[in-house]
Formats: sequence, structure tokens, C-alpha cells
Amino acid sequence: RLEVDPSVSSVRPFVVGAVLRGVTFTKARYDSFIDLQDKLHQNLARKRTLASVGTHDLDTIKGPFKYMAKPPGDIKFIPLNQTKQFTSAELMELYSTDSHLKPYLPIIRDSPVYPVIYDANGVVLSLPPIINGEHSKITLKTKNVFIECTCTDLTKGKIVLDTLVTMFSQYCTKPFIIEPVETLINGKVEVYPSLKYRTETIKAEAVSNLVGVDQRPAQVADLLSKMCLESKVNKDETITVTIPPTRHDVIHPCDIYEDVAIAYGYNNIEKTTPKTLTVAQQLPINKLTDQLREAVAQSGFTEALTFSLCSRDDVGAKMRKKIENIPAVHIANPKTLEFQVARTALLPGLLKTVQANRKMPLPLKLFEISDVVLKDLGTEVGARNERHLAAVFYNKTPGFEIIHGLLDRVMQLLEVPLSADKSSSGYFLRTSTDESYFPGRAAEIVAYGQVIGRLGVLHPEVITGFELNLPCSGLEINIEPFL
Amino acid sequence: FTSLRECKMQDFGSLILEELDKANQLDSLKFAQRHEVDEQKIVGAIKSLESLGDVIQTKIYQVKSWQLTAEGKEVAANGSHEYRVYSAVPDSGIQQSKLMSSCGAFGKVGFSKAMSAGWIKIDKSQGAPVVMKLVESASDTVGEHMVLIQKGESEKVDAKLKGEYKKRKLLEEVVDKHYTINKGTNFRTKIEKAPTELTADMIASGTWKTTSLKPYNLDALGVETGGGCLHPLLKVRAEYRQIFLEMGFSEMRTNNFVESSFWNFDALFQPQQHPARDAHDTFFISDPATSNNFPSDYLARVKQVHSEGGFESQGYGYDWKIDEAQKNLLRTHTTAVSARMLYECAQKDKFVPQKLFSIDRVFRNETLDATHLAEFHQIEGVVADYGITLGHCIGVINTFFTKLGIEKLRFKPAYNPYTEPSMEIFSYHEGLGKWVEIGNSGMFRPEMLLPMGLPEGVNCIGFGLSLERPTMIKYKIDNIRDLVGHKVNLEMVKRNPICRIDKSGTGEERRLQVLNRRWANIESKLSCIQKQMEVMGISSPNAHGMASDASDGNLMDVVIKVHPDKPPYSLQLLLNVLKKRFKVAASTHTHSSVKSAGSLVLSSDESRITADVKITLIYSNVTRPTMIVKNAQIQGEENIVRYLARILDSRGGGNLYESLDSKVVAQIDNILDRLTDASKHSVSTLIPGILTKSKYLAGNRVTIADILAYSLCKQAAVSNSSIKDWSKRVEDAIAKM
Repeated sequence: RLEVDPSVSSVRPFVVGAVLRGVTFTKARYDSFIDLQDKLHQNLARKRTLASVGTHDLDTIKGPFKYMAKPPGDIKFIPLNQTKQFTSAELMELYSTDSHLKPYLPIIRDSPVYPVIYDANGVVLSLPPIINGEHSKITLKTKNVFIECTCTDLTKGKIVLDTLVTMFSQYCTKPFIIEPVETLINGKVEVYPSLKYRTETIKAEAVSNLVGVDQRPAQVADLLSKMCLESKVNKDETITVTIPPTRHDVIHPCDIYEDVAIAYGYNNIEKTTPKTLTVAQQLPINKLTDQLREAVAQSGFTEALTFSLCSRDDVGAKMRKKIENIPAVHIANPKTLEFQVARTALLPGLLKTVQANRKMPLPLKLFEISDVVLKDLGTEVGARNERHLAAVFYNKTPGFEIIHGLLDRVMQLLEVPLSADKSSSGYFLRTSTDESYFPGRAAEIVAYGQVIGRLGVLHPEVITGFELNLPCSGLEINIEPFL
Repeated sequence: FTSLRECKMQDFGSLILEELDKANQLDSLKFAQRHEVDEQKIVGAIKSLESLGDVIQTKIYQVKSWQLTAEGKEVAANGSHEYRVYSAVPDSGIQQSKLMSSCGAFGKVGFSKAMSAGWIKIDKSQGAPVVMKLVESASDTVGEHMVLIQKGESEKVDAKLKGEYKKRKLLEEVVDKHYTINKGTNFRTKIEKAPTELTADMIASGTWKTTSLKPYNLDALGVETGGGCLHPLLKVRAEYRQIFLEMGFSEMRTNNFVESSFWNFDALFQPQQHPARDAHDTFFISDPATSNNFPSDYLARVKQVHSEGGFESQGYGYDWKIDEAQKNLLRTHTTAVSARMLYECAQKDKFVPQKLFSIDRVFRNETLDATHLAEFHQIEGVVADYGITLGHCIGVINTFFTKLGIEKLRFKPAYNPYTEPSMEIFSYHEGLGKWVEIGNSGMFRPEMLLPMGLPEGVNCIGFGLSLERPTMIKYKIDNIRDLVGHKVNLEMVKRNPICRIDKSGTGEERRLQVLNRRWANIESKLSCIQKQMEVMGISSPNAHGMASDASDGNLMDVVIKVHPDKPPYSLQLLLNVLKKRFKVAASTHTHSSVKSAGSLVLSSDESRITADVKITLIYSNVTRPTMIVKNAQIQGEENIVRYLARILDSRGGGNLYESLDSKVVAQIDNILDRLTDASKHSVSTLIPGILTKSKYLAGNRVTIADILAYSLCKQAAVSNSSIKDWSKRVEDAIAKM
């Protein structure tokens, strides 16, 4: 019996257990037993956060066992593979350099109390989810194994225990016999492992309709038995499928249908074409983008494909802008500086491309039409993409007229007329001040009365910021207004 | 500059011709020295004289000479390293470390050379090693030799020493080419410069009629075209888009990189503890950190199906938290958008079938390597309708990949939280010679579709792959940074060919394709000519094929082309029967359009001269087995078998086909048709089915139905016990015939 003290509720509230009697370990079985626990810890138990298993030589300990939580300094024992006693607080220190155990320490480290399991004589079995005690360690000679599984997610704890015992009970003196363990929790006794068998009734027709093969109920039952799912055809032609405790992955009839399809063989299923008739439609912004890409390339500019993630400096300091003033989407957990923000402009990526291709013959004429990401609290997720067109001209002379010519060409292709009277009838340029451009060499582009972007000669500090040394003019506009 | 150089060349050209006129032979090196010009200029003049057509004749000869390397020149100027080190040691000695720092770059080499020359020694008795002079004076032979070689007097230096200096990288051996010039058959001293281009004047005056233009050098490349280029990856993207559009798929609205966990994970029935939701795999957003605007009734259904189940599901049985769903992230897959699209579709009054696709960026916070970046393009296709099956899923994927030129596909069970059944897609990669994973697919789980409000009975299939990986394989790019991002070489972008995605294969394979097409073209023209001759009443010598051949003892001479994947085992059986009745010459060849022969080799000891049946088997890149009998083509293994059996029956008493009872013949024809249409799977069920009724496929004797079926089974490696027994029976019966 495992007795659960209410003190654990704040840290790791559940425990389930089982006993395997008369297990014969060989080296291979022992290693496999450890490997299985490790796999379960990593995957299903999500790196021990949801559940963790401790296995013990039952002959070295005495029930009933107590599962409780105590302050870190009050727990003292000899942990696995050590020779002297440590308090659990000391263990946190000891294992902080242990590459294997280090990742699990944060699960309980900052909790005021740590979970611990004692036997009737006060021997520490384990400090879940970190380490077992040396005292109850299982060896190749161990015959009777006590398994405890503490968890924060009871469903996962039960699955882990079921999986472990169903896979290893065949090595018991009486194969496939598992001894249950009672858990006393909140005054109630629960018996584990639950080893629940569940039945699901399915129709052959439903299987056939989903998989696309015509199978009679008997054939379906046959295929399912191949997959170790015991199946019986009923009088009304339905099929009753028994789902054993080894198959916790089966949670819906569709999981059973998949087993039928696997047993039938995916590659034996006849390839058919759905009768679904639909009329294809391009996304308007993508269609426009592709048409503009062709046209800009025909105008002598070569297409770049740059990353949508970049450093804060790329869109900020290097462009002579303050990052706080940019509506950038910030990434919480970047592994490197390259992934601090989503780009808010395409020009930095183009300038980096120029930098990497400085040795190419001049002039370099590059463009990109792609999405930038802008923080926008008026949208569902608080951010939106915007399709931009950007181009740079890099040469011994700034070539403002070249970039300007590209803008005129794009406007011509979009059928936006030049508005001589600077009205909203078409597009026009007006002087602008923008930190990224050389003073007096920047212009705003106004189309149909709306500022769609800027062009100009880039500021020398922007040029040197991207490790370049020649004049460069640039253009960046939002093309979404022209949809 | 160009015209100036040309003018000079012209001058040297005239000069060469004048001197050659007097001397009969010239040497380019001596000529250059005499006139104190760079020999390269003279070579240029010789080249342009050569282009005039046998005015001069030239012979190249090579001269080896020694030259100083940069280091050698330094030694010539400052003395050898060892001498400089020796000179830097004062008579009283110097600490080794001080010596080394004062000597700089040459110190290390110079020190060891001076040591081995016995010029200096190390004294360690005082603790720190001190360098002392060992000889009172040293003479710098190496330095002197360098000076000699620099003056062009390298013959004064011993050859062995020169070899050593070469090893020390002081010297290098250079090979110079020089020309011996003789008079040519059209030798003349005066050269009129041939005009290089047709001019407007020539056209106006008509002088083009009498002008001979300077010939073009067709070995040089033309002038590069200007203009910009599109990016290789996006050219491939355009092809994929085109394929989806051809298949009737509409493009999804994927221009939202920032997504909530709800749509990216929860809506897809991906549990909140799933490892993919870990910060190790996903980029979460700190600003704007959360989303709050979810359809509340849908949210409640999602919560319920995760935590408690419903819609026939057990659920995952955990405490579903809204906070987890609210976390903003950079979408990890475009399936988040598919979920939004399907939800939108479910909100319409009446369900409208959907075929959707997208190709757009997705983000993973993964470890980066040569093939993985934090962002890549995902290609995704989705079909939702009543009655959609896994067979449809396989069919749609098959059509899609066939359009890409990928035909060998296999599907393998896999796990994916939001699809069930799930399949990994593998294709056979000819280059790597193995099956490689190219995508993922499956049917969306009811736990994902039903909470959205899609009607029961609507199934939805999805498949996805990355854009970068197949593109890297196609263009043989090993590092993804050479394809995507700012480090891409623009020269590569410029040189990249247009994307003809279904035209895979190496340059060599494409060359063979062109050759094959040309051969097919010739064959079809020949057959047209043949028909025209027949119409005109001219009978070709072999117009009636074997009938006329048979009369001169030449029963038949056939060429059979087959693909190595489908060796015609039927021929082997028929050949055994033929050999007992005729003199048969058989040979097997492999055409260069295929890599290797098939596993079946037909051969015989009979020579082609004495044989009356000649069979030539050629393994080549044909889709259907083809037999060429003089001027006719017979297509399909079944028809080849029929043809050969007719000959055997009519001339050798074979009793395999048309000599049998007409009912049996009809039965044989029926079976041949069914076998021809059968896929691999159905061959394995069809044959045992017929065999339950009789010993052989058409009654109780071996016929060509068995012979063809035997071949198909062997090709497809179908073996179950009933087929094995029957195959043995067929072989035995044939052996006895």
C-alpha cells in the first residue's frame, strides 16, 4: 500500500504503484527495463514533468509506503550510486553539473517542499522525479520489483504504469501476473495498475468508407486480430473490438480504422481520385506578387530570398531607428540573435545580401517581394503580415534615378498614374525625413492619398552599418493597397 | 584601349611578315627580345596572322626555367633566413626568446637552418636557453645563389641544390611557350585587314558581294544577356503552385506568420503537453504575447474534446488550460491555416466541398544544420468532402507526385497527433538507390473536424512536404544556406535554369532522352515511307514479313526491346520450345538508355548465319515491351507471346495457342486481357482464383496464358504457395514439350 500525505498536493499530487514477483533479470532484460523507463520518461511523461517511475528491490524495503512532501533540508538519504548521505537541498547542488539529471531539477527545485517516498522503517525509496535511493536499488539478482510512479497528470501516470507492467510481467515466475498496490488518497483506496480493457463497437461499412476498400465484417475482424486487437463479429454484423491496456493510443474508432488500413497494407489500397469538383482560385495577393516579380525581374533586378526573422539591430540600430519605435513582433525564446524579431522591412535583408555578394560586378540591382510582420493590436492575434516590394541599387554612384525609374515602372504596371497636382488621383513623391536615408535624399511615396512607402539614397551610417562602402539607393513599398 | 592594342598588333604583324620574308624563320622569344616588347604581344600578333589562313605556319616549343618565388626574391635582397639569424647573434650570445622576437617571420626557419649548418648552438646551462655563435664567420651561399638565379644565371647553380630550394619554396620551375614561325603557303608581306562585320555602307554600295569577312570565332561565348533573374526556390514554388491549380486546388490565405497556440495546436487536437509545444521546438512571441479573441462555443468544444473526450473520442484526459491556448507563436506549420479555413467552411449554411493548398513559410526553433533552418516553406494540400477515403488520399498524392515526375511511391504507417490514419510518403530515389521520405499525409481526426462544426460524414485528407528539400535534391545543393537567405550567391541565381520540375535527371539522362526521341522520330518516318510505298504499289522486299522469309529458310528475325525492370520470362519458356524445333540464335544486349540489363539473359550456341530463328533482346528505356519484325512493331508482352506462339503452332506443332480448340483460344484471349490490365496485387489474387478450377489457367494443358502469367508473377516477385506450385508445373510441362 502507498499512503499519500496531503502535503504532496502542491508539488506532485499523485502516485500509483505495482509489484512484479519473481522476475528473472538477465543483463539484456535489465538494460531493456531501464531503457523502457527512460523512453517513457522522455516521451509520454514529457521529460518527467508529467510522471516519473521509481523501481525498487521489494525485498530490501517494507510496506506500507508513505508518499509525502517535506522541506528540502529535512530529506536525507544515500542516493543511487553514491556512498554518503545528502540532504535533498545538497542533491540539487550535486546534480546541477550532472548532464543526465540536470534537466529534471527545475521540476521541483523552487518548490518549498520536495516529494519523497519512505518505507515503513523510514528508508527513503526515492526523491521523485529526480533520483532513487541506493538502499532499494534493483540489480540483476533482484527478484521482486516494487514500481512506484508519481505524477502531476494522473492519466499519464496510469498509462506509464500500465505500459511498464504489461511489457515486463512476462518475466515473472508466473508470467503475466501482476500484483496490485493500493493507493490511499484523501481517505479513499484506489487499486493500481488499472489495466482497464475497453470495448468499442464498429461497423465494417464505416471502415470501408474511410479506408476505401470493400471489406466484410469477418475480414475486418481478421485484419484487426493481425494487429493484436481482439475482435468479434456480432449477429447484427457489427464488430466488437477489445482494446487492451497496452493500447492507450486507441482513443477513437478512427484509431481502430487505421489499424485495419495498416493490416490491409497502405500500398495495397487502390488509388482512386475523389469526385470532388472544385474551381481553383489563386490568393489575389500571391497572384499579384508573382506578376510583379516577373515584371521587376524583366526590369533588370535580380530576386533575393531573405529570412523573415532577424536581429533587433537589423531593423533597428543598423537602420538608424530605435527598436522601441518600430511595431516589431518580438520572439520570447530565440536561440541566437538572428531570431530576435520578425522583420518589419525587407531592406535590411537586401542589404545583407548585397554585403554577401560585394565581389560581384557592379552595379548590384536586387529586389524582393515578400511579407513583413507588423504588430497591430487591431487584429485577432495582435500582429499581421504586410506584402512589401523592396529594391536596392548598389554602385559607385547612388543611382536614385534608377530606383525611381523602377518605382515609375511598377506604378505604370499597376495602372496608377502620376499625379501632377499631387492629389489622390494617382501617385507622387514628396520630401520626407527618415533616419535610414541621407538627409534631403529621401522621399515618401503617396498613392491615392496614402503613404505606401519610401525611396531614397541610404544614409552612410546605414551603408557602413551593413559593412558596405559604396552609395546605395533603396525603395520599399506596401503593395497591398493595389490589390 | 582596345583599338590601340589592335593597332600595335597590326604593326607587329607587318613587322613579323617583313622579317620572315628575309629570314625564312623567326623565333617569338628572340623577336620579342630584339624589339624589347613583351612576348605576349608578339604571340597576340602571331595568333591574328594565323587567323588569316596559312599565311604563316607556327610550331610551339616549351622552355623550362627557374624563377624566384616572393620568398626567394626576399632572400636575394636581404640574405638567407639562416644568415640573417646568424648575423643577429652577438658574439656574447643572446637569449633564444629575444633572438626569435627580433627575427620575426623568418626566425623559426632561419634558426633551425642555422643550427643544422652548425653556425650556432644553444646553451641551457644558465636556465633560460642562450644562443651562441659556433663559427666565427659564415658565408651565405643560399643568398648568393638566389642573386645568381635572379640575374638569369641559374645554370651556375647546382641542379640538386635548385631542387632543394624548390622544396624550401624559394624557387619555382616555370614552363614558357614560344613559337617558331615559318612561311605558309599563302605567305605575303602585305596584309589587308579583313572587315569583321557587315556594315550599312556595304549594303548600300553593294561591296558585300566582293568582300570577304573575317571569320567568327565560334568557340568563344556570346555576350551575356542583361536583365534580372528570379530566385531558384521561388521558381520551384511557382511550379508547385501551378500543379495545385491544374488539379483544381484553391490557394489558402497564409499571410499570417504570427498565430495563436489555439489555432496552431489546440484546434488540431494536439494536446497541451505535446513535446512540439515545447519552447525547444517553437518560437513563442513575447510581444504581442497572447491572443484572446476565439469563437467561444468552438473553444468550449475544443476544451471538452481534449480534456473529457466526446465525438466518440476518449479525449486525452487532462486539465486543458486556456492560458496555453492563448500563447502567441510563429506558426510551426501551415496546417494552422488549414484549420482556420476548415472552421470557416463549417460556419457556412451549407457545406461546400474544398480542395485547398498553400506554400508558405513556417518556423521551428530547432537546431540548425546544413539542411535545417529556423524557417522553411511548407507545401500543403487539403481535400474535404463527403465520402473521402484513404484510397482517395493515396490517389491524390499519387497524381500530385506524378506531375512532379515522381512515380514510384510507397506509404508507411506513421504517427501524427491530428491525422488518423497517418502515412509517411516515400519515393524511390534513383540517384541514391533507396527509398527516401518525401512527405507526410493522413486523414484529419474527427476530434479536429467535428468540434469545428463540419457535418458528420465529411472526411478530410491532408498532405505536406517542404519546398526546400526537394529543391536541394533537384539542384544538388548540400547546404541550405546556399539556397535560402542573404548568403546566397547571386551568380548561382543568375545561372539557375528554368524550372522544368517533371524533367528530372542528369545531363547525361537528358541527352539520352533527346537521342531516343530522335530515334523514335526516324522509326516513325520510316514506317510512313513504308506505308506510302505500299499505297503506291511498290512492295518492299519484306512486306509480308515472315511468310516470304520462311520460304528461304529464314523463319524469323526479331528484335525485342524491353525495360530491365520487366524481364520477359515468357520468352525464356518459348525459347526452350523453339530450340527443340528450330536452329535458334538468341542474344541479349543493353541499350545505353538504361543503366543495367535485366535479370534475364537469352543466349544460344547457334550462329546467326546458320540459324533460322533469330531473337535479339535489347534492354532499353521503353515503357512497353516492343518487338520489331522487319518493318512492323508489336507492342506488349502478351502480343509478343501471341506472335511467337503462332509461329510455333503453325510450323512446329506447338499447341500453345491458335492450333487449340476455338473455345480454349477465346478463353486464353480473355485471360491474356485480364492479365494485361491487372496490377501487381490482382495478379497475385487472379491466378490462384483461376487455378482453383483447373490445373492450368486455360484448362488442363499449358498455354500461352500460363506463359504470360508465369512471366508477370516472376517480374512482380509474387510468390504464394499456389503460384509456386503452378510455376513449377509450367516449367516442367514446357521442358517436356
